[in-house]
Amino acid sequence: MSTTGFNDFAQRFAESRTAVISLLISLVFVACALFAPLMSPTDPYDLTQLQLSDALKPAGSTRMLPGEEVRANIRFQGGTASVEPASPAQTRQSITAESCGANCLGVGVAPEGTKLASLQIRNLPAGASVEGGKKHIVQPWWTVDNPEDGRVRIVSNSQLPENFTVLAIAKSLDRETDFVFRLGTDGFGRDMLSAILYGIRISVFVGLVAAGAAMVLGTGFGLLAAWRGGVTDAIIMRAVDFMLGLPALLVGLAILAILGNGVSKVVLAIVIVQWSYYARTARSFAISELGKEYVEAARCLRLSPTRIMLRHVLPNCMPQIIVLFTLNIAAAISLESSLSFLGVGLPLTRPSLGMLIASGYEFIFSHKYWISIYPGVVLLVMIVAMNLLGDRLRDLNNPRLDR
Amino acid sequence: MNEMIFEAKDLSRSFTVGHRVFGDLANRFMGDRPPTVLRAVDNVSLTLREGETLGVVGESGCGKSTLARMIAGILPVSSGERHFRGEPYDSLLARKRDALKIQMVFQDPLSSLNPRLRVGEIVGEAAVLHGLVPRSRVKEYVIDILARVGLPADSLGRYPHQFSGGQRQRIGIARSLAVKPDMLICDEAVAALDVSVQAQIINLLMDIRRDSGLAMIFISHDLSVIRHLCDRVAVMYLGRVVELAETEQLFASPAHPYTRMLLDGMPKISLERRKFMPIKGEIPSPLSPPSGCHFHPRCPIATENCRRTRPELREIASGQVHACLNVEAI
Repeated sequence: MSTTGFNDFAQRFAESRTAVISLLISLVFVACALFAPLMSPTDPYDLTQLQLSDALKPAGSTRMLPGEEVRANIRFQGGTASVEPASPAQTRQSITAESCGANCLGVGVAPEGTKLASLQIRNLPAGASVEGGKKHIVQPWWTVDNPEDGRVRIVSNSQLPENFTVLAIAKSLDRETDFVFRLGTDGFGRDMLSAILYGIRISVFVGLVAAGAAMVLGTGFGLLAAWRGGVTDAIIMRAVDFMLGLPALLVGLAILAILGNGVSKVVLAIVIVQWSYYARTARSFAISELGKEYVEAARCLRLSPTRIMLRHVLPNCMPQIIVLFTLNIAAAISLESSLSFLGVGLPLTRPSLGMLIASGYEFIFSHKYWISIYPGVVLLVMIVAMNLLGDRLRDLNNPRLDR
Repeated sequence: MNEMIFEAKDLSRSFTVGHRVFGDLANRFMGDRPPTVLRAVDNVSLTLREGETLGVVGESGCGKSTLARMIAGILPVSSGERHFRGEPYDSLLARKRDALKIQMVFQDPLSSLNPRLRVGEIVGEAAVLHGLVPRSRVKEYVIDILARVGLPADSLGRYPHQFSGGQRQRIGIARSLAVKPDMLICDEAVAALDVSVQAQIINLLMDIRRDSGLAMIFISHDLSVIRHLCDRVAVMYLGRVVELAETEQLFASPAHPYTRMLLDGMPKISLERRKFMPIKGEIPSPLSPPSGCHFHPRCPIATENCRRTRPELREIASGQVHACLNVEAI
């Protein structure tokens, strides 16, 4: 297309404000897809970052860091206590122990006054107990929740043995962090904003790749049918009719039920569903182009059929095919989301928008609306924008519909 | 007499109307409704000598364009033989570079040019692909050809829609000339143009013919153009040639009643008051042509015999042949 032709096209396109807005929205989504790793606050695929304690938090809540655990063996020998750090390697707090009179052993953390969530003493000698502590139902473990000043006392009514060793486990309080979950978290404690951005990435990727592959395949078949005619044409077009007669979602479900989950399989399923649209469009426009005199001229110039189809006929069919491509990206995205929603699409560890909607579905009746609603809104906006864009392109290609 | 460049013997082309694979299968099993066959061209024999121009004239739908495409080798024949310099088309078309010697100029100056290609590509593509010009020199080559048809060198990078109708037809002619043809078939090449532009294109074709000694088959429904340009004329009616003669002879003494009525319809500059006798009736549908002589329903001298007998071409004077059963009766 010449530059004047393109400018003219752009000008006519811009006459519809809706179309311009949908184009901008679509571009934003493509940018989201491209730059998701840069834009998203967390990496939703990194399962080690997930804290179950963060699960199902509403939008605007902060991430909590769970308290750390410090363990130490306290060896009591002849009235003096010594502390040996136990694994894992110790962090900020360290456990201290000193005698607090007869038959009394104080256990605490340094520095003094540290708030603890709990302090547990294990393997107490017989007869000993921990002040204010609860004993484990079975094990000789004594736990004190929120110990005052971060210390507890092991006391015994009888004489403490000369030598014994206890294990002290100190748990610090959960700490609040600066990190805010802007759109809340899902059932795994995943940040919804990151999950949605990565979900857009997957949806756009699947949509583009699947619609693109379907375009290449379907256009190829359509051109072949148009060029060969006769039996080839009849066979291809009856296959197209067959595919068009079956509901897309049903075919997708059947294919994925056989093949199993995975991005490549979803793409394959969408290609199998969508190639027929392109084949039909490409065939009809190729046939009308084949009837034009420039094709006869090319034949008279003894150009090969392949060259005539690809170099002369195909470029003249491309505008219509591009329009179909735009509309079918939206269709592919929604099909992928539907399949994921139904649980046969993408794996749970790499959620697409449809998967996110599905995973929020089980919480939606317990007022955890954000898991389903936000990805749903994003999906809706994306599909509507792409459809409006495709509609405008189609109108521009059909002068009778324009104005 | 010059050598023969082209010979056609009993060329026929029929189209099956409403032909569909599954429909035909169904018909075969159901055993009804045989497919309708349209005989667009019916047993046409023509010859063309080196450097000669043959005109083919007839009403719309008489099979002129189908004939042109069969002669150009872009439409297969249903029956009959085509020879180019004594060689049958089957073997000629297999050797693409030799088949380039037959070229065609089309009627519609816009749809005969690919709207997505620049003029440089339209004109130069085939010459490069068939190795007539190295790719590095194609630009000068195309500019040279464009100059021959009277187009400026800067047309090279422009698209067909940026040209006027006459210029587009020049591009079409340049495209044919670029592969150095020996025979040029012009299918209604000036019909879609304004009269003043028609004259320019006709003059261009005549210049080209004079310079390169091309043999031409010029197809038109315009008798004055044919008379101006052609050495011999074939008159077609409903797929058949009804008269074939030297141009002078045909216009001076037309033999077939159809030719006479066509010539009567020609506008003339004359002081006399003319009485205009239109050919009565419509051209019949080629799907169900009249029996016998196709022209009999509209013929003023038709007899009962014309309804039954198909007339063969007969020679009356040297070089003049016609297909009328009772023209001598007039």
